[in-house]
Amino acid sequence: MIKILVSILTLLLINSFSGFAQKPKADIWRYEGPRVGMDLSRFMLPYMQTAKRNGWEIQADVPYKGNFFPTFEMGMQWFDDKHDTFHYKNSGSYARLGIDMNIVKFESLKDHDFVFVGFRYGYSMFQQETESIATSNYWGSITTSLPRHDMTAHWGELVFGMKGELLANFFFGWSLRAKFPLAVTKDANIQPYIIPGIGKTGGGTPFDFSVGVYYRFPIFRTKTIPKPIKMGGAKHPGLNDENDQNSQDYGGSQSGGSQNYNRR
Amino acid sequence: MRYYLIVISLLVFVLGSCNDGNRCYESVDTLMMSSFSINGFIKIDSLTVKGLDRNDVGDTLVYDISSTLTKRYSLPLSLSADSTGFVIKVNGKTDTLYVRHAMIMKFISEFCGFAPNYVISGSRHTLGIDSVKITDSKVNPQSIAKLTNDQNISIYFNAATH
Repeated sequence: MIKILVSILTLLLINSFSGFAQKPKADIWRYEGPRVGMDLSRFMLPYMQTAKRNGWEIQADVPYKGNFFPTFEMGMQWFDDKHDTFHYKNSGSYARLGIDMNIVKFESLKDHDFVFVGFRYGYSMFQQETESIATSNYWGSITTSLPRHDMTAHWGELVFGMKGELLANFFFGWSLRAKFPLAVTKDANIQPYIIPGIGKTGGGTPFDFSVGVYYRFPIFRTKTIPKPIKMGGAKHPGLNDENDQNSQDYGGSQSGGSQNYNRR
Repeated sequence: MRYYLIVISLLVFVLGSCNDGNRCYESVDTLMMSSFSINGFIKIDSLTVKGLDRNDVGDTLVYDISSTLTKRYSLPLSLSADSTGFVIKVNGKTDTLYVRHAMIMKFISEFCGFAPNYVISGSRHTLGIDSVKITDSKVNPQSIAKLTNDQNISIYFNAATH
């Protein structure tokens, strides 16, 4: 009798442990949502230039079809440049609208690191004035000033960069930007050599960089890994598409790069 | 991926910290390029140019005693007045030339600053000068780089008096 009881207890214990072991895994979801951040490079600028240049910039993007990120950026800049023969001031605000496109494959549902190319259209409203313009020649010397002038500028940007999720929903990223001024208000005395949103304009295509931290609001969730964007070129017959493998793993839809999102 | 993100970010920061120096490599001197001649046959044996009412030591702008048919010199214009007067002595005969102009300060670059830019609108002169031809009314820092036979004004002296 005792042997029977011990056997039953042993079976129950084994059964209970095996029940623990067979408990279904927690669901793995891919969280998406708008990402808002701040460009830290704007705060570094005062330490990298002789002129006083201060400003701030916020950046936001929203995922669209997994690999596209419509982007909005806005900021302000103050520039104060004092030389021996002139004192130039320039300040204003700007905004950029554009889109980034991921060019690498997301490795898993949890992988949100991406490399992107993109473009922006930028618009800036600013004002400039110059004081203490001093010059001299054979006939003597003069000191004059130029009054405040309200100006605007339009430009386009090509962007290349990376963003990676360092902590859950917290991203770090950088971008390099080539800027192409399209139109700047004319000034008979001085064309601005720095424009809020563009940066320094003297000589060739202005280049800029941006280093930012971002927070993603995880509003949407999905079980689909975004399908990489096809860049063209011949496809080798018989080779398995690795994304199909992902689809099998997670049971997600892979058609046309679109995803099925669930509100969290 | 994150390793590359951080390493490349540092590289971008270092590259972004580079600047192109802070020197001025452009001309900031605005001078009116002027030619002096009597006619195609009589040489100028001596030429002296001074600013009007400038008689101190060191106020002579041009002192040339070499004998040539035509001479070219660059002359400064007034920064504060709308005309500039020159006293010109050619072959011992003295004349006065007034050049009328408008001036604005124009920005060259961040490290060169501003330079005066003029537009010549006319001239007046005494009888020893036959005529003054304005060939390029715009006087700016690039004017001193004008080639031979290209100047802002050409001053022709009266052959009968020289």
